Amino acid sequence: MGERHLLTGNHAASYGAKLSRAEVISAYPITPQTTIVELLSEMVASGELDARYITVESEHSAMAAVIGASAAGCRTYTATSGQGLALMHEMLHWAVGARTPVVLTNVTRAMAPGWSIWSEQTDFLSQRDVGWMMLFAETVQEAQDFVVWMYRVAEQVFLPGMVAMDAFILSHTSEPLIVHDQAAVDAYLPPFDPLYTLDPAEPRAYGGLVNRDHYFEIRYKAFEAMERAGRLLVEAGEEFGEALGHRYGPVDPFMMDDAEIVFVSAGAMTSNVRYAVTLLRERGIKAGLLRLVAFRPFPFEEVRRLLEGRKVAVLDRNMSSGHSGIFAEEIRSALSMGAAPTEVYGYVLGIGGRDIRVETVLDVADDLMSRDEPARTLYVGVKGLPIGPARADREIARLAPLEEVSP
Amino acid sequence: MPDLSHVDDYPEIPVSLRSSRGVLRTGDWRNMRPVLAERVSACTHECPASVPIPRYFHHLAAGRLEEAFATFTLRNPFPRITGRVCPRTCEAGCNRVDREGPVSIRDLERYLGEATAGLPHLPSAEATGSKVAVVGSGPAGLSAAYYLRRSGHEVVVFESQPEAGGMLRYGIPEYRLPSAVVDDEIARLQAMGIRFRTGVALGGDLDLGNLEDEYDAVFVATGAWLGRSMGVEGESLMESGLDFLVASHDAGVRPPGRRCAVVGGGNTALDVARTLRRLGAEATVLYRRTPDEMPAIGEEYRAAVEEGVAFEFLTLPRALRKDGADLVVTLETMRLGDPDDSGRRRPEPTGDDREARFDAVYSAIGETASLEPFPDALKGGDGWLAVGPSGETKADRVFVGGDLATGPATVVEAIAWGRRTAEAVNERIGGGYEVPDWVAEQGDGVVGPTDINPATFPDTDPHHAPHLDAAARLAAGMGEEAGTMTDAEALAEIERCYSCGYCNECGTCFVFCPDVAIRWEDGPVFDYTFCKGCDICTTECPGHVILTVKEEEVARG
Repeated sequence: MGERHLLTGNHAASYGAKLSRAEVISAYPITPQTTIVELLSEMVASGELDARYITVESEHSAMAAVIGASAAGCRTYTATSGQGLALMHEMLHWAVGARTPVVLTNVTRAMAPGWSIWSEQTDFLSQRDVGWMMLFAETVQEAQDFVVWMYRVAEQVFLPGMVAMDAFILSHTSEPLIVHDQAAVDAYLPPFDPLYTLDPAEPRAYGGLVNRDHYFEIRYKAFEAMERAGRLLVEAGEEFGEALGHRYGPVDPFMMDDAEIVFVSAGAMTSNVRYAVTLLRERGIKAGLLRLVAFRPFPFEEVRRLLEGRKVAVLDRNMSSGHSGIFAEEIRSALSMGAAPTEVYGYVLGIGGRDIRVETVLDVADDLMSRDEPARTLYVGVKGLPIGPARADREIARLAPLEEVSP
Repeated sequence: MPDLSHVDDYPEIPVSLRSSRGVLRTGDWRNMRPVLAERVSACTHECPASVPIPRYFHHLAAGRLEEAFATFTLRNPFPRITGRVCPRTCEAGCNRVDREGPVSIRDLERYLGEATAGLPHLPSAEATGSKVAVVGSGPAGLSAAYYLRRSGHEVVVFESQPEAGGMLRYGIPEYRLPSAVVDDEIARLQAMGIRFRTGVALGGDLDLGNLEDEYDAVFVATGAWLGRSMGVEGESLMESGLDFLVASHDAGVRPPGRRCAVVGGGNTALDVARTLRRLGAEATVLYRRTPDEMPAIGEEYRAAVEEGVAFEFLTLPRALRKDGADLVVTLETMRLGDPDDSGRRRPEPTGDDREARFDAVYSAIGETASLEPFPDALKGGDGWLAVGPSGETKADRVFVGGDLATGPATVVEAIAWGRRTAEAVNERIGGGYEVPDWVAEQGDGVVGPTDINPATFPDTDPHHAPHLDAAARLAAGMGEEAGTMTDAEALAEIERCYSCGYCNECGTCFVFCPDVAIRWEDGPVFDYTFCKGCDICTTECPGHVILTVKEEEVARG
């Protein structure tokens, strides 16, 4: 079933859209996403993919275009990154309110300034509250498969979904993967049956003014749909395994059965964490790993069941400034509702694309084992500083005058 | 309406639960409105006969041949003729000219002509009982005869030559316009009921006064056939270029020798030179100015050069004499001085003479009309005929036109004049033919290149009708040099047309209207109950047919 290929994460995502038979694609190029839609535009131009490719002048318009196309009854796909995702923000809300099951791939990228094209998850996690389903891919295979999986769920609950992958570490790294047989994907993912279609014969006003008497009920229905999506995501992930040979779920535990210390991670950095766990096990340390695959809907049950009572280090390549790494915040929240006391240590690392090496994870493990009191946010690898919390008493330093101005 | 007292009564999305057409009459917000405002395309504007080019293209593309023919013949009855010999001022005006080159309008006109060659002309209006005489059966006479007959008059065409057709038959060489095409078109006019009397000349068997008595109107379009004198010594040794062209229609005509010269720089001169080449002779054109001042059609000049016609510019014959079998011509070298009345720089003598030997020299320095048959009463102060814009003369029943009125001009200008005169005659004696509503509804503004939305059209190189290369043309003798586009080429070429100012039902406005306020009923219909006047259809309309106007102007009318 399927064919083995060697593809980058970005091209795998293109194949995910192609296998899903996306009918309308609209995107604005942005590094490190660009090669996703480049390949798709070639597929559309050559006729390999029977779709319309709409070029636009901004990500805001790209999202508007796919929302419109989705409302008109088409399966739609887009991809973006960093600033592009931020520019889409307003329209991301709209896609939810309009209940258009758009699927988007976001290649995570640190936000400017300083300008950076390197990986960081803050762009993606900043969209936490827009109401989209959110998945985090670790491998090239997942960069492809999660697009298909996402459509399967999105089109049942009529909510949009985004799949994240880390810039370069995954987006531009080639790995072997199985490009699935189209017929098998077709069997798994039926054609889009829209909730409504724009039809002059059925003239209605969509997305208009809704007063206070009615707004809550309509939004409530979207909240309910997201709750339903949690169950469907599990079901569809299992069916993916049956139909296409790769089983997916909202979390991905590794060596968790007897783990005393547990790392929580998401995305491509997880591969190094997994290897670090095996090294720690060789040293006799009962380490484990819980990879978060689904971020929205959040896998409360799984997180609680798997982390309860253990010593947890959450590795966040992101930061909600003034609070914690975003995953740490979410994990603590999930564990606060009736779980046994669980120590959660928040580690923030790899900001702006700095490498998270196996050694980095082992340093975190040493630090974790040296602590006996949960810490909110511990920064790892800031030059000149040991792993530790941010300094609240540091004076702000002004720029020293330039020594030389010209030429 | 559900009572919405329970969340389950609600839709999943914010949407109107009644038809939005009933509740949201968005047209109330409008202060501007789109209107379909057909105007004149640049090509039509540049066409002397005002042929509605984008309109008949649209009919052709839709496979509506009869409608295309009816649309074309509203302005010009002879697409088979002008489709071959027109100088294409339309193409110079085409808004695509600065992109990949103009739409090949003349080739498409020929395509239309050939595709509709078997169709009869439109039926004539009910008989008026009036009789009109047309004297001269060149393009002006035939065009006038057509429109007069179509208007319901009885029409008789008089021709001095043995066969009808005038310059079309006798002046234009076979390789540009085969006589068989002229025959067909005359036959088609005869089928309308137009009668032809050949071999009768005005001033000979025909008398203008008698015609005035016998007919309700007389249109004289006898052309410009008289050669002009150069006033050089030994001029009688020259032959008439036009006479040679007339004779060239007979098979077996041969030039008197190998070395031939043609004096002049107009279309007749080049036709003579190109015909000489086809009949196996060498041809040297002697012209007193430079290529920039030549009155000939540019493409004729280029074709002549390709065919090996030699050109000696700034050269004026001063004297001819016989030397045995040779004609010895004294040629003076000229130089260009200040511009003359025509705006062209005037040739001035340099006194630098040389001699050249030829077997024959043809004079083709421009023809003029003979005024012999006309009474002085019709002449103005300058001794020439006094002619109004539609051919009116000082006599109520007499109209003149074509080359007789304008001097040597193009076929299409003569055709346009013929139609104009037919309309003037109708005004005077009554009668007329049915004209579709769009003629009156069309605005007179011309759609220019900056009005067009070119992004709607892909870059496409022009398609052309087949045309023999120079060697093949010479090998073909007097055989026709150009062919007709295939159906596929014609359709592809019509696709290139921006359809300036004419709605060809492309559907762009329908697709772009964000309010579904354009209904499609064989074309766009604006639904002003819902149209907000956003201007998008106007902006997107590829041919600039939709305009946005202020509501207050609509209210004022």
